[in-house]
Amino acid sequence: MAIFNLKNREIECKVVYYGPGRSGKTTNLEYIFKTFKKQVTDQLVSIDTEGDRTLFFDFLPMGLGKIGGCDIRVQLYTVPGQVQYSSTRKLVLKGADGIVFVADSFAIRRDKNILSLKDLDQNLKECGLNIFKIPLVLQFNKRDMSSMSDGSIPIMSVETMQNDLNRQLKVPCFPASALTGEGVGRTLKESLKLTLLHLQKELKWAQK
Amino acid sequence: MSIKEQIKSILQEAEIYRVQGLLNEAMIKYKIAAELVEKNVKQESRQSLIDGITKKIELLKGTILKYNDPEKTPEMPVEIQNLIKDKFAFSADKESAVLEGAIALSKFGQYERAITEFSELLKNDSLRLVAAKNILRCYFANSSVDGALSKYEQWLKSGLFHEGQIEKIRFFLENLLKDKGIERELPIADVPEEKTVFEKATIEKPVSGKGLMTDIPQQEEAEEDEFLDVNSVGIEITDGPQKGKEIVLDVAFQSGKSVSLIIPGREKTLIETFKVGLKLDNVQFYSPIAILNGSGVISAFTKIASGPKMGSFSLDLKISA
Ligand SMILES: Nc1nc2c(ncn2[C@@H]2O[C@H](COP(=O)(O)OP(=O)(O)OP(=O)(O)O)[C@@H](O)[C@H]2O)c(=O)[nH]1
Ligand SMILES: [Mg+2]
Repeated sequence: MAIFNLKNREIECKVVYYGPGRSGKTTNLEYIFKTFKKQVTDQLVSIDTEGDRTLFFDFLPMGLGKIGGCDIRVQLYTVPGQVQYSSTRKLVLKGADGIVFVADSFAIRRDKNILSLKDLDQNLKECGLNIFKIPLVLQFNKRDMSSMSDGSIPIMSVETMQNDLNRQLKVPCFPASALTGEGVGRTLKESLKLTLLHLQKELKWAQK
Repeated sequence: MSIKEQIKSILQEAEIYRVQGLLNEAMIKYKIAAELVEKNVKQESRQSLIDGITKKIELLKGTILKYNDPEKTPEMPVEIQNLIKDKFAFSADKESAVLEGAIALSKFGQYERAITEFSELLKNDSLRLVAAKNILRCYFANSSVDGALSKYEQWLKSGLFHEGQIEKIRFFLENLLKDKGIERELPIADVPEEKTVFEKATIEKPVSGKGLMTDIPQQEEAEEDEFLDVNSVGIEITDGPQKGKEIVLDVAFQSGKSVSLIIPGREKTLIETFKVGLKLDNVQFYSPIAILNGSGVISAFTKIASGPKMGSFSLDLKISA
């Protein structure tokens, strides 16, 4: 749910990083926090449990400056990916204007990616949103493992992941390594672009 | 690949999963490795290998147990609680936002803070009952049945609730107790008169769903006047005893930046203050995708003289900022 303050011409919107446990959502935000210093407006807040698993969410506020005469503020969130935190995921998802789905490239997590995408679909429905309509991008994370490992770690090909996750959605997708930062910025920028275009269509702020 | 290399590679894989926190996956791999050793490695070197893997498995089991321990959600620092309260409330109406924030706190297991927030709302006529129920719910979720019971007794004596309300609370509490397998007759109120009863206009919540967009586009104006679908409009009362309260009115009709609202005849305060040309500051425009706050100018204001809405008023508001 974007908040558009007509008087100050200020728009505040929300992008949520979703995906199975351990896929690298928090690592994405950590990299963004380190790298996009100019846009980041406050500390990265991580609420996690022992073992670095997200317990509630991560939160990172950013300012994108003026677009179409409006001051754009974005708040990035991650959900806890572990299956048992289903109700928290729903809570964090509420009011999302855009979604980044972070999938794990480990072959052993193949089913978990698919289940998490289904979970996203379901939870969006419960929030009155539609996975085919909400601005969504996919990220195939941990690609560094395919070059690093000597083949001992089975990594899925991008085609396999596309086929598993993006056959129907047909949304932009980015191979990435949240650990090295490769692809993180591109994922974020595409997500912001889609989210803002979508909002612009709805709010028509840049037309005046 | 020789069997030795195979085992080594599986152990490496397990190790990476473990480091990544994919503990169940690591466990599966360790077990496969152990099996391979058992079946294929010669007697001399077998035992030390098995011992090594067993040790890893035991350590991993410990970690998995620790992480899966469903301990109570910790009470977070105040700054985090404030963040939750602030970010998980979506209503533009202040009181509803406090309520939503408090509900979010309780959903995140921050029961003590949630109780503090709900308690603030007890001062508010229209939210008193829902706040009270939520307070009781928090006590139960925080496994403090006694806390809930003593709160109830305190409320009984306080006279804060009128009889109808305290009855509802008692019923609610008895059900919570029942769910816990506790059958208990709770003391009943002896409130003298219904002195705390308020006849209050219910605040209608903004409806979600499609806004009522007019089907007669006004050609010349359409271009510059395009505006998103507004479902309902929140107007703040600026005078009188209800000052600061927001009244939410459904949009009956919208044409670009002009919305028509129906004001029920009972909203006397609003009706008395309105006239054509009046500028309303601090107006919330609720649409399915966003809440906009801005201002508007009243462009028409008439009493509806016939039809099902007779006695109500029709107000046209031109969104101005
Ligand atoms: N090699 C590699 N490891 C990664 C990458 N991204 C994340 N990791 C590792 O994967 C583990 C989990 O990363 P997180 O960012 O905590 O995962 P998450 O999706 O936030 O997990 P939950 O909060 O449990 O849902 C950590 O050990 C990270 O270092 C990556 O691109 N490459
Ligand atoms: Mg995380």
